[in-house]
Amino acid sequence: MLVTGVRVRDLRSYATADAALGPGLNVVHGPNGAGKTNLLEAVYFGCTGRSCRTSNERELIRFGADVARVELDVQGDGGTHRLCAALPRAGAKRVAVDGQPVDSLLDVARRPLASVFIPDRLELIKGPPALRRSHVDSLVAALWPARSGARRDYVRVLAQRNALLARVRTAGASTASLGAWDAELAACGVALQAHRAEAIASLAGPFSAHAARLGLRDGAELAYRPRSGAATAAELAAELAARVESDLERGFTGHGPHRDEISLARGGRELRVYGSQGEQRLALLALLLAERELLAERRGSPPLLLLDDVMSELDAERRELLAGELTGRGQAVVTATELAHVPGATGTEATRLAVGDGRVLSGARAA
Amino acid sequence: MYPQPVERLVTELGRLPGIGSRTAQRLAFHILRASDEEAAALADSIREVKDRVGECERCFNLADRPLCPICEDPRRDDSVICVVEEPSDVLPMERTHEYRGRYHVLGGALSPIDGVDVDDLHIAELYARIAEAQSSVSEVVLATNPTTTGEATALHLAAALRERSPDVAVTRLASGLPVGADLEYADEVTLGKAFAGRRAL
Ligand SMILES: Nc1ncnc2c1ncn2[C@@H]1O[C@H](COP(=O)(O)OP(=O)(O)O)[C@@H](O)[C@H]1O
Ligand SMILES: [Mg+2]
Ligand SMILES: [Zn+2]
Repeated sequence: MLVTGVRVRDLRSYATADAALGPGLNVVHGPNGAGKTNLLEAVYFGCTGRSCRTSNERELIRFGADVARVELDVQGDGGTHRLCAALPRAGAKRVAVDGQPVDSLLDVARRPLASVFIPDRLELIKGPPALRRSHVDSLVAALWPARSGARRDYVRVLAQRNALLARVRTAGASTASLGAWDAELAACGVALQAHRAEAIASLAGPFSAHAARLGLRDGAELAYRPRSGAATAAELAAELAARVESDLERGFTGHGPHRDEISLARGGRELRVYGSQGEQRLALLALLLAERELLAERRGSPPLLLLDDVMSELDAERRELLAGELTGRGQAVVTATELAHVPGATGTEATRLAVGDGRVLSGARAA
Repeated sequence: MYPQPVERLVTELGRLPGIGSRTAQRLAFHILRASDEEAAALADSIREVKDRVGECERCFNLADRPLCPICEDPRRDDSVICVVEEPSDVLPMERTHEYRGRYHVLGGALSPIDGVDVDDLHIAELYARIAEAQSSVSEVVLATNPTTTGEATALHLAAALRERSPDVAVTRLASGLPVGADLEYADEVTLGKAFAGRRAL
């Protein structure tokens, strides 16, 4: 699946922009503040209906404008489709596929998956485990769309069980239904654990290989460290029952897959704790590249890779290594202040988009 | 902005589920334009439904007499009770024509988040019905919604019934229902299939 065209209206610094993307490497270049990250964010917004940069989505709307809009032309097996996402300053977000409104782009099977590297995403490597859990769960959903409800179900049941624990603790409610919630939580929990284990087992090999190719030395490893060793729902339910006293004391559930860790380590040491900024960056890139490989293999089409400001932070050797990983493996959009920072950017395979003054200056399509 | 009685009508209509303020306004103006008879018929039907319709004493289905039509019907099979969350879940089940037993309406599903505990549902009444001296109940079909709360309610009832009435078979509707769907919205064919393929718990 390829994104062939992007039309932007009133998003961030762009009043209007209309750009054609190439099937391989696309390099967005321009000085600081030119609007490179904004264009990347616009593409992400077109793919997902969300921002990759902020949880306050209204920031996307250009100062003084009323509605931010992105339209993407997407080319897939079944022909071309038009995805449209519009975010008004007042009122609800609207997303549509080929002019038909849909509830969420995330549920649209024929949308391109987007995999994004922005400096903020280093949190995925160095931040709390919750970020890694939610990332792996979204990979599960991307790999096996039918399993996308597993996390949501678990979270819902967990919230109910926690509410019951709190009601027992503070309001003296009865524990009569606790066994039922334990049974349901355990059923959802072992399913979630199994999905995570399967996704990480498939990802671990490619992750180590990509990390080595990017020059992250001493063997980088990805591993699933589930909180519970239970293999069946009955076992997990028994573990929950055994901890009910302390759960009641605290008023929340202390055991189960919401406490899982996903470990990224190098030479046996956690990158989260011991990795340098540069090593963490390489680990994140290796993770995204490994996911891209896995998705390409399982879903038949790699996700669109969006890499913001990555080259400037790498040494010359690693720039070459990363560029090597990018060529010939699907569509990527890379931002850089200097074209010279992106090996291969001037080749005939690459598409160059110069941006500045809130406009796409070259590579823009004739309107 | 409008005369006070109009504002009041808009406010009341706006309290209905799925009715936003704009729709409430449109409905209010429709009622204003309607003939006196039409408007009175609407008002009367609301008053009548509140005056005359209550809960069936036995199964908590809707009833305008002490017992609902299903509990009163002598041709229904007394040996099976189908447990549903709401009175609105009874009709889709009836439409499948697969089921000839009785019902028991819980009045909701377990949901600690919303403060709904075991005692807030008609669960004790279900146990009492089954335990009654001349009861001939041999199967309880748990047809709560296939949602988080409906599942937990079914699990709770299954465990409790196993203990209290080990001779009664407890079954759950087969999951022909789309996950997360309310029974109310399930179509007749899927619901019929779910019924035919119910499984023991
Ligand atoms: N909602 C907005 N409306 C207008 N301009 C914005 C908005 N949000 C950010 N900007 C502007 O976008 C510019 C930054 O663009 P950005 O894409 O981050 O630059 P870079 O090319 O360095 O990645 C800044 O000048 C900022 O003021
Ligand atoms: Mg930037
Ligand atoms: Zn009745």
